[in-house]
Amino acid sequence: MALSIHKLYDSLMQEGIIFCFCGSVSQSIVEGIGETLWQRMEIEGTEANTIRNVFPIFVEQVQNILTHSAEKISPERSGGEELRFGIVTVGKSNGHFYVSCGNYVEQQSAEILGRRLTQLRDLDKEQLKEFYKKQRKLPPGEDESGGAGLGFIDMARRVSMPLEFQIIPMEDGRLFFSMIATI
Amino acid sequence: MDHLIIEGTKSSPHVHFDADTGVLEIRGKSYPANAAQFYTPILGWVEEWLGKFTARQITLNLEMIYLNSSSSKAFLNLFSILDRHAESGQEVVINWGYHEEDETALECGKEFMEDLEAVNFNLVRITER
Repeated sequence: MALSIHKLYDSLMQEGIIFCFCGSVSQSIVEGIGETLWQRMEIEGTEANTIRNVFPIFVEQVQNILTHSAEKISPERSGGEELRFGIVTVGKSNGHFYVSCGNYVEQQSAEILGRRLTQLRDLDKEQLKEFYKKQRKLPPGEDESGGAGLGFIDMARRVSMPLEFQIIPMEDGRLFFSMIATI
Repeated sequence: MDHLIIEGTKSSPHVHFDADTGVLEIRGKSYPANAAQFYTPILGWVEEWLGKFTARQITLNLEMIYLNSSSSKAFLNLFSILDRHAESGQEVVINWGYHEEDETALECGKEFMEDLEAVNFNLVRITER
C-alpha cells in the first residue's frame, strides 16, 4: 500500500501536479483548498492576474462537481453538507497553469454539459463576453441548473487555450465527464 | 427599518446596508454554495427598503476580490433593481472599487456598467498602502 501511494505521488509530481483532490467534495472543501491554492500561488510569486484566473476556474470546476456529480451523499446521510464525488487537480505544464476535473454524471447532466461546452468551442473572446452578458440577464428558472451555463463561459474567457472536455461511456452504462482548462 | 448586516465568511461577502443613511456596502469574496439562496434575502431587504427610503441619495460601495459566476448574476439583479429605482428619479451612485493591479475586477466592473442606464456607476481605483 505504502509503495503504491509513493508511485501515485511520483506520477503526480512527474505530471507537474501542484495539487490533487479525489473524493467527496463539499462547499467547505472548495473554500479550504481554494484558500490554500491562492496562498501557495502568492508565496511562489505567481503574477496577481494569473492567480485571479486560476482561482475562479478552480472554484467553478469544483462547484460544477457539486452540481453535476452522480455520486452523492445527501445532507441527511452525511449529517452536514451534501457531498459529491469527483477529482480535481491543479498543475503546471510548459509554464501554464491548468485546472482539470472529472466525475461520473447522469445521462441528463452529460447532455447539458456536452451541449454547453460544444457551444463555446468556436466563440472568440469578444463573442464569449457578449454571450456571458446575455446569459447573465436571463431570469432564474430559464435553465436546468439555474446558472445558465455561466460557469463554463466564465472559464472559457479566462483560458489561454480552448477548454477541452470528454464524456466517456463506461461498460456498466455510466458516463465519466472530465475537462481541462489551461490558463 | 433595521439595518442589514451580514458578517463575511471565506466564501461570502461582508454586507452592511444602513437603512437610515442609504449607504450600502458589500466587500470580500463571493462564491457561496448557492448564490441565489444567499442573495435572495438581501434583494428582498433592498426592495422593501426602497419603498420606504426618502433621503436624497443612495450609495452602494463595493470592494469585491472575487465573484463567482452565479454571484455575478445576483449582483446584476441587485444593480438592476437600483437602476430601475434611479429611472424613477432617485439619485443612485454605485462605486465599484478595484485594487490597482486587479485587471479582472476592473473589467468585471466595466461589464456591469455597460448593462446599466440610470445609476451613476463609478470605477474607483484603490491604491495599496
